[in-house]
Amino acid sequence: MVRAAGLIKKFGAFTAVDGISFEVRRGETFGMLGPNGAGKTSTLRMMSGLSPVTAGELEIDGIDATANPRSVRDVIGVVSQHDGLDPDISVRDNLTVYGFYFGLDRDTARRRADEVLDFFALRARGDDSVDDLSGGMRRRLSIARAFVSRPRLVILDEPTTGLDPASRNRVWEQLAVLKNSGVTVVMSTHYMEEAAILCDRLVIMDEGRVLGAGTPDQLIQDLAGAEAAQVRPEEGRREDVQRQLKDGGHDVSDIGAVFVVHGSDGQRADLSTISGARVTYRAANLEDVFLTLTGRGLRDE
Amino acid sequence: MNESLAVRRDARRFDFRLRGVVGVWLRHYTAFKGGWMIEMTGILIEPVFILAAVAFGIGELVGDVETRGDGVKYAVFVAPGIVVGNAMWHALFECSWGAFRRLQTNRIYDSILAAPVSMRELALGEISWGATRALMTTAAVLAFASVTGLVESPWAVGILGIGILTGFMFGGFGLIAAAIAPSTHMLTLVFTMVGTPLFFFSGTFFPISTLPRWIEPIAWALPLTHPVRIARALATGDLYLSLLWSLLYLVVAGLLFYPIATHLLRRRLLI
Repeated sequence: MVRAAGLIKKFGAFTAVDGISFEVRRGETFGMLGPNGAGKTSTLRMMSGLSPVTAGELEIDGIDATANPRSVRDVIGVVSQHDGLDPDISVRDNLTVYGFYFGLDRDTARRRADEVLDFFALRARGDDSVDDLSGGMRRRLSIARAFVSRPRLVILDEPTTGLDPASRNRVWEQLAVLKNSGVTVVMSTHYMEEAAILCDRLVIMDEGRVLGAGTPDQLIQDLAGAEAAQVRPEEGRREDVQRQLKDGGHDVSDIGAVFVVHGSDGQRADLSTISGARVTYRAANLEDVFLTLTGRGLRDE
Repeated sequence: MNESLAVRRDARRFDFRLRGVVGVWLRHYTAFKGGWMIEMTGILIEPVFILAAVAFGIGELVGDVETRGDGVKYAVFVAPGIVVGNAMWHALFECSWGAFRRLQTNRIYDSILAAPVSMRELALGEISWGATRALMTTAAVLAFASVTGLVESPWAVGILGIGILTGFMFGGFGLIAAAIAPSTHMLTLVFTMVGTPLFFFSGTFFPISTLPRWIEPIAWALPLTHPVRIARALATGDLYLSLLWSLLYLVVAGLLFYPIATHLLRRRLLI
C-alpha cells in the first residue's frame, strides 16, 4: 500500500527526515513511534501530499506520490494533529462540505455524512456547532471526516495527543473498529501503549531516522527482552549502584529516579548481586525498546 | 513500473479541477446560509445607512457636481461610488480577515488541501466567494438606490458586473494580504491603510479633479477609481470610450492578483 525508500525532507539546512525506508501492507495498521521532532509529522505530511518530497521514493497505492500528490489525496483520508474543523458550520456540514471537496454531489455528500455520523456515534450532535464539542468528540469528528470519501488509506497524526485518558480510550475503541473494517491505517504516536494496542507493525523513529521495525511483540522480544528491571537506589547509594550495574556489564538506561536494566537473549537481567537498591521486574514494553535504541525516554526533551 | 510512469506523465498535464473551486465556494455558501439574517446587516443595512446619510443628508447641503460638462445632483453622483466602494469592502474583508481566520486561526486550509483540492483551486474558491459577496451587496444597495431615484439609466444593470469584477480584484488583493500577514494585528493595516483611503479618495465621494493637482495622478492609479468611474457612467447613462481603459485595469489587476495570491499561499502552507 505504501512504499518509501530513502525518503528525505529538508527545511533549509535542517533535515527533518533523513532517508527513511518502510513498507505498509494493505489492510494493516502501521505505526510510527517516536518522540517530538522524530520526523513523524513531516513523513505523514509528505504522504498526504501537503509537503513536497525533498528526495527519495514514495509510492502510495501504486501512485508515485512525489510526482502526483493530488492523485494520492483522491484515495486517502487525513487526520491532522490540530483537528482543522470548521467552526463556521455545523458538525454535519463539516462532513458534507468535506464531501464537496472530493467532488461528491449534494445528495451523496449528505448521505455519506449521515452514514459516518452513525458509524462514529456522533449523530446526536449533528446540528451542534463544532465549538460545543469536547476535545475527544472533536477528535472523533476529525477522524470521521477522513472517512467521508471512503479512503483506502487513512493517515492519523498523533490521534490522541492532548486528550484525557477517557477520551483516549474512546478514540482507541473507534480506531480498533476501523482496523477491523479492513482499511489501511498509518498513524504516528509518542504513546507506546497506543502503538502496542493498535499497531500490527511499527517503526521506531528518532531524529529523522528509522531505528527499528517490526511487530510490537517482536521488537520488545528482540530489543528489550521479556522483562525489564527497575532499580531504585537507596538514599545516597545512587553512584554506588550505578557502578555496580556498570561493572556487571548490564544494559543500563538512566532515567533519573531509577535505572532501567534490560535483559538479553530474551532472558531478564540477573541482578541478585546488586546491593543498596530495590529491584523490581515488569513486562518490557516499547518504551524499553526506545530506551535501548537511543538511551533516552520517549518523552524526554 | 508502467503504471507509475503513466501517473508521472499525468502529473505534467495542467491539473485544474473546477469541482475543487466549487467545493470551496459551497463551503462558504453553507456557512453564509447558516447566518444569513445577520449577514444581511452588512450586505444591505449598513451600506444603506451610509448611502442615505451621504446622499440625502450631505447631498442637501451640496450643490450639483460637475461631471464631464454636465452637472448632476450630488446624491446621484455619490450613489455608484458607495455601491462599488462597498463591494470592495466586502471582498476585501472576506478574503483578508475571513481567509486569515481560515488559514491561521482555524487551520481549515490544511484540511481543504488534504482533500484533493489544489492551492490554485482553493485560492480561486476564496476569491470567487469574495466576488459573490461583492455581487450580493452591489445588488442590494443598487436596488435601494434605484428605488430612491438615484439611478438615472437602465445601463445601471451593468454595475452588477462591475461589482463582481471589483470583488474579484479586491478578493485577490485581500488574499495576498492574508497570505503574507504574520498576525491579525498586521492584517488590520489592510483596512486602515488600504481600504479606508481607497474608499474615500477614489472619486467615490467627490471628483478626483477636486484633489490637489499633484495627488490627481495617484488617485488615477488607485484600483477603486476605475470601477467607480465605470459604475458612475452606467448609472447616469453617460458612456464614453475611455471607460474601456478602466475596465482593462480592473480585469488585468484581478488576473494578476489571483496567481500572486496562489503563489504566496503555496509558499506559506506547502512546506
